[in-house]
Amino acid sequence: MAGTGIAERGSKAPVPAPATRGPRTGPRRRRGWGPVLAQGPSLLVLGLVILFPLAYSINLSFRSYSLVIPDHTGQWVGLENYSRMLHDGDWYQALLVTAIFTVCAVTIETVLGVAVGVFIDRLRRTRRIAVSLLLLPMILTPLVVGLMFNFALNSQFGYLTWFFKTIGFSAGVGVLNTGPGALTALILIDVWEWFPFVALMVVAGLQTLPKEPFEAASIDGASGRQSFRYLTLPMLAPILGVAVLFRTTEAIREFDKVYVLTGGGPGSATTVNDLYQYRVSFQNWDLSYGATLGLVSFAFVLLLSGILYRRLNRKEVQR
Amino acid sequence: MSRFVRSALASAIGISLAATALAGCASSSSGDGTGSGTSSSPGEWSKEYDGTTLNFIGEATANTQILEKLIPEFTAKTGITVNVEQAPYDSLVQKAVLDFTTKKGNYDVLSIPYEYLGAFAEKQYIAPVDDFVKSPPAGVGADFSTDDIIPSLWKASSNWKDHWYGMPSNSAVMMMFYRADLFNDASEQAAFKAKYGYDLAPAKTWAQYKDIAEFFTRPAGAKLAGQTLSDPFYGATMAGKRHVATVLEWMNYSWTNGGDLFDSSGQPAVNSPQNVAALDYEKGLTAFAPPGFTSATWDEVTAQMQQGTAAEAITWGDTAGAMEDSTQSKVLGKMGYTDIPVAKEGDKTEAHLGSWTYAINAESKNAAAAQLFMAWALSKGVQTELANQGGLPALTSTFSDTALQAKLPYWKQELSSLNQAKSRPRIPQWSGISDAMAVALSEALSGQAPSQAALDGAQAKITSLMSGALPVTYQ
Repeated sequence: MAGTGIAERGSKAPVPAPATRGPRTGPRRRRGWGPVLAQGPSLLVLGLVILFPLAYSINLSFRSYSLVIPDHTGQWVGLENYSRMLHDGDWYQALLVTAIFTVCAVTIETVLGVAVGVFIDRLRRTRRIAVSLLLLPMILTPLVVGLMFNFALNSQFGYLTWFFKTIGFSAGVGVLNTGPGALTALILIDVWEWFPFVALMVVAGLQTLPKEPFEAASIDGASGRQSFRYLTLPMLAPILGVAVLFRTTEAIREFDKVYVLTGGGPGSATTVNDLYQYRVSFQNWDLSYGATLGLVSFAFVLLLSGILYRRLNRKEVQR
Repeated sequence: MSRFVRSALASAIGISLAATALAGCASSSSGDGTGSGTSSSPGEWSKEYDGTTLNFIGEATANTQILEKLIPEFTAKTGITVNVEQAPYDSLVQKAVLDFTTKKGNYDVLSIPYEYLGAFAEKQYIAPVDDFVKSPPAGVGADFSTDDIIPSLWKASSNWKDHWYGMPSNSAVMMMFYRADLFNDASEQAAFKAKYGYDLAPAKTWAQYKDIAEFFTRPAGAKLAGQTLSDPFYGATMAGKRHVATVLEWMNYSWTNGGDLFDSSGQPAVNSPQNVAALDYEKGLTAFAPPGFTSATWDEVTAQMQQGTAAEAITWGDTAGAMEDSTQSKVLGKMGYTDIPVAKEGDKTEAHLGSWTYAINAESKNAAAAQLFMAWALSKGVQTELANQGGLPALTSTFSDTALQAKLPYWKQELSSLNQAKSRPRIPQWSGISDAMAVALSEALSGQAPSQAALDGAQAKITSLMSGALPVTYQ
């Protein structure tokens, strides 16, 4: 855990350890009960809230348990839920929608975030105000964002609907009433809500960059674009990587806005993975199948973040 | 990460945690269940359970709202306090199931939609009340009588495999709503006759229903009954969201066209030619519906009829009170209510029953007091008050009350629709069936898939969902 990691690193450092703990003999020093006492309670809580539900879900995924169907009382069914999942067209559809949503939303958020972040970084006096303004969409609860846009996009009295009609963009039907329209709206709303996050990370990252390479580049006659392409972007990469990692794992788990705005419709055009699982578990009450889908999604997100995390680490080491 | 970003993130997380904590405030149960043992004279409500607190949850509709206002009367009569919680359909079912499965017994009495009756009864989440129904105990007031409850409604809402699980809390049934003022307008009548060759009147057949919808669909600036429209006016409004409301409405089109979800041998028949034709018909109607019908449920349909933006709708009788409510309705006194159209004149009409039932939690510690509450809710005084305030009772005597018939324009139609009413399947698999149908119908109505393909998909899902439980012998 984080605490022990720091201790290890500290002990390897050439600087002598604080005198109060006595001299340290090296990395193999014996640790007392201190770390256990310090970490124990939090590990216990962590275990209770993460490991227990996880173990319970794994167990459930091999059973058949429905809260409404009489003969599905939790009997052992082996891999039946998993084989059902592999033949579940609705789930594939949900995965596809989630993939489109995640890729589009995160890409636009990153590009827009970098552009806005760089722009804000160049501001002098108004930077603080700009940063505060950026925070506004982010601090709203996603559910509230969904409700706000639900109102704005209402096909009869929504002000955005009116605006689109006025500029001749949509012909009568509200944007939420066609499959592509609803998905596009969800992506753009997510962008509206979360590109500031990327922008803030970029602003923060730019402030930590050393000045020297830029000065050297300008002496060598590099253009603004060149120094951005070959200096700023590579040096920002780790921070951008964290931002993309955060946003991707969040976007894969998108639920609130979809639930409020479209309910997954029209048809199943905006049924994202989490919404589909919600329907399986809490509308059809098929908890065991819901657990199976949840586990597979969990494993996928874990794998994805693992890959991204390792790539980031490797990049840092390379530098 | 800079300190700024970190603190920004921390504050964002803090805000969301606070919101979660607020949302997590749950209701708690109270009540010691001890009675003071006061006896009462025959025909009066017993005070035996004085001091008990009951928790009741019902759908956030007129009936529950009115009942909540009447609770002090019950408390005065019996000494029992009742906490009333209201929730929309989906949320109510979720709260109920979670309470059942955790065996907490938080809710003593629940008003549940009857399509969950089979599921809840089979899982023994709710307790049978056979003894109470056979002979109501002495502590029940004389203004309650089981003989007065509409028999067909009661059976459909509360009887599962020959056991009684409660009494009807709502007598919702689907019917046709139409704008009588427009239908009676002389200029509209003349224009309609000129265009379609027959008299403008409430539709008897689906063909007429569509003609009327087409006739009344007009853009802003056109004339409607002599008035210039400032907003577009639509022929028919309907529910098309991926939601149970869409399924229930479509079942009327299906039934009157000879279709159903299961055939006479109890096998799924979702993609039958009759059902496909019914869905094609409904899809055709969407051309005359307000934009946004694919995100509309019964709530939007009610609002659109109330706001006077559509000429006709196949919708729920328990929203008629809202049409005749002077504080919310723009169509006060302008509405007509009649039978749902049929395929060809002379066919038997159908009406989708949407009843709810009071049921008692099997884990309730106050079952006897809960039964008393149920009986009081079905007593004459309460039922008449429901009727007066825009709700729907479940007693024959309240529906045949001449004073109410004179006062409420929809009153006679409610009883006649109830007498024709048909139930949807009440089998435990209903929630899955309803979800599969909602997807299919929403896909077809929004034009993402042809009717046949959409219903084929639902047929496959429902067949697999029902595996091991076919044929359906008990609906």
